[in-house]
Amino acid sequence: MRKTLLTLALGLATTAAFAGAGHGGSQAAVSDADIDRTIRLEAGDMWFNAENLDIAPGDTIKFEIVNTGNLEHEFVIGDAKAQEEHREMMQAMMGSGDGGHGGHGGHDMAEGEHGGSMPSVTIAPGDTAELVWTAPQNVDGLEYACNIPGHYEAGMSGNIDLQG
Amino acid sequence: MANSRVITHPLSRRQILKGGAALGLGSAAALSLRPSWANPWGQTNVYSKGVEEGPEVSLAIRRESILIDGKEARPFSINGTSPGPMIRLKEGQDAVLKVTNLLDEPTSIHWHGLILPPGMDGVPGVSFPGIAPGETFTYRFPVRQNGTYWYHSHSGLQEQLGHAGPLVIDAAEREPFRYDREHVLLLTDWTFEDPMSVFRNLKTAEGYYNFQERTIADFFADVREKGFAATAEMRGMWAKMRMSSRDIADVTGSTYTYLLNGHSPEENWTALFRAGERVRLRVINGSAMSYFDVRIPGLKMTVVAADGQPVQPVPVDEFRIGVAETYDVLVMPEDDTAYTIFAESMDRSGFARATLAPREGMAAEIPERRKIADRGMEAMGAHGMEGMDHSAMGGSDTQGMDHSGMNGSDMQGLDHSSMQGMDHSNMQGMSNERSRINANGMLAAGAAQPGSRYDQAGIGIDPEARRMLVYRDLKAFTPWPDRREPERELELHLTGNMERYMWSFDGKKFSEVTGPIHFEKDERLRLILINDTMMEHPIHLHGMWMELENGQGELIPRKHTLNVKPGERVSALITADAEGSWAFHCHLLYHMDAGMFRVVKVS
Repeated sequence: MRKTLLTLALGLATTAAFAGAGHGGSQAAVSDADIDRTIRLEAGDMWFNAENLDIAPGDTIKFEIVNTGNLEHEFVIGDAKAQEEHREMMQAMMGSGDGGHGGHGGHDMAEGEHGGSMPSVTIAPGDTAELVWTAPQNVDGLEYACNIPGHYEAGMSGNIDLQG
Repeated sequence: MANSRVITHPLSRRQILKGGAALGLGSAAALSLRPSWANPWGQTNVYSKGVEEGPEVSLAIRRESILIDGKEARPFSINGTSPGPMIRLKEGQDAVLKVTNLLDEPTSIHWHGLILPPGMDGVPGVSFPGIAPGETFTYRFPVRQNGTYWYHSHSGLQEQLGHAGPLVIDAAEREPFRYDREHVLLLTDWTFEDPMSVFRNLKTAEGYYNFQERTIADFFADVREKGFAATAEMRGMWAKMRMSSRDIADVTGSTYTYLLNGHSPEENWTALFRAGERVRLRVINGSAMSYFDVRIPGLKMTVVAADGQPVQPVPVDEFRIGVAETYDVLVMPEDDTAYTIFAESMDRSGFARATLAPREGMAAEIPERRKIADRGMEAMGAHGMEGMDHSAMGGSDTQGMDHSGMNGSDMQGLDHSSMQGMDHSNMQGMSNERSRINANGMLAAGAAQPGSRYDQAGIGIDPEARRMLVYRDLKAFTPWPDRREPERELELHLTGNMERYMWSFDGKKFSEVTGPIHFEKDERLRLILINDTMMEHPIHLHGMWMELENGQGELIPRKHTLNVKPGERVSALITADAEGSWAFHCHLLYHMDAGMFRVVKVS
């Protein structure tokens, strides 16, 4: 248990650092007129229908993600390190040794504490969700992923190429 | 397609060329009659072609001299290799599998985990008469499933001598996971002894292969810790149960060489990857008697299928694989370095090992083996035998062990969740059992039975050390079609007398029962297995799935083999849709042979 709490604390600390560095876009401040491109993605069990996206730096993208699977999925944008930390935190939130209950306890974290630094959206099976995001200018590439425990490992990730 | 060949060469030209590209130790070994699926590069794509590709495959069974662990051995071979070649079928095919017996004794092949017509199941005396010397039997069945399975002889003790191999069925539709490369990891336990003499040794002297028995030194250590009376009492208890507390496995590393893809730990079979790839490992326990705990230090493994059936992904550090079970896991090695695939036998008497590496000839550190566990610990829940009233044990053999004496006693540090299964009489009324009871008085479908320990991996595992897969984790993606509540319950006790090496269901050996167990055609029933022995038993039902009621409600997983831990009560739902006669047995080979076997008749 102590180990779990420690991991969690570390996760939060790094998240805060990321938020401070200020990458990631704000969803509320963008109107439809500002959107440069709409990307429609399918999230299934356990894949996204695209594994690579080429996006121009500075473009504002509206992601429309439809969940065609049987399970809840999320769509999170971030660099590999942040994704991994998010994943570890969600795994810790799940509690080890019990896949049974509290299954989605990690979710509030994804949208709450993570929201500032990692653009993310959660999609129920059969639903479509939108996420508006402006690609940063100073990064070569990012990842998108579903970090619900096991989902990334089973295949739910892709690369965003930002080299223009 | 290479269907015209009657007897296929163990290595295709293409694979020899591939192997030549990386002429390391592994490849050199591969050229000397190693199974062709043990190709170090694995398959790069689930749809790429293997050697014994369906739908038509011919297999020739021989007994021949092959080196095992560098020593002269005479295993059973299938198309010249032992273990046999991988058979690769595709969902939707009509499989035609021609098996030719070139032995001087009858043989058979059972396609483990496959749903098929009863006459094609390959159990002599149940599904067909067997394959006589010189004969060819043609198995024909539609392939209606996909995933990782295996095949093995169901004749006598042949399976002990390498008469087994992997069976992989490619999916007709996209699987619920994605990967770049795959490897099959087949675990087996090889003995240079004659299996008949292994069996005789077990019958005449229980503990024959158990060199980890408590010694006089252990006795004095116990006396120091627990005092003389408690120690003597504990010994007495085990003696009364005709068991030793260190009976973890009845055949051990003292005779077994544990093999991975036919290779000993020293031979270090290597599975290759490129950094950053998602690698699927199809892990099959094709052992006669050995459970393994599998881990790859430095890598998280994500379990994506159990017994060939997809499950919601579970990231773990280690998993226990019972005899005849299969697990598919995904790993993502990010670094250009070697990792040890470590499969430690449950009794800690040895291990199988391979290496996952970016190049041939690499090796990583071999983890230290854990110490032998003591049954006393697990049997009593975890810790603290002190203060237990053993008088209740008096006179009882293992059947009906009565632990009522434990209730009032001071059980220091005892984890009560792990008590389930110890005292059946008290469990029914326990308020923390969150299960629904139906109008007919039975638990609702999918609920875990009181007495199950699905949240525990079992003996010899420190749950704090690393994240271990447990049965509770297994969860299907979608409910299986038959959602009916069970109409009846069938309770079977797993029974045995270790000292006399008698194993049975409900106290009766197969030779002592008069008829089959009857399932009404198309009935929905609940099978309840109660393990009255102090050993694990992997219980296998042929012809129909068992839906393990692990508490996951309508998402309970389907399995062909259920591990039942000592003292545990486990249940499964069955749709009896497969008319005919089917084998039902403990998959520990010598237990099956000793009588832990029944025929199930669906009519």
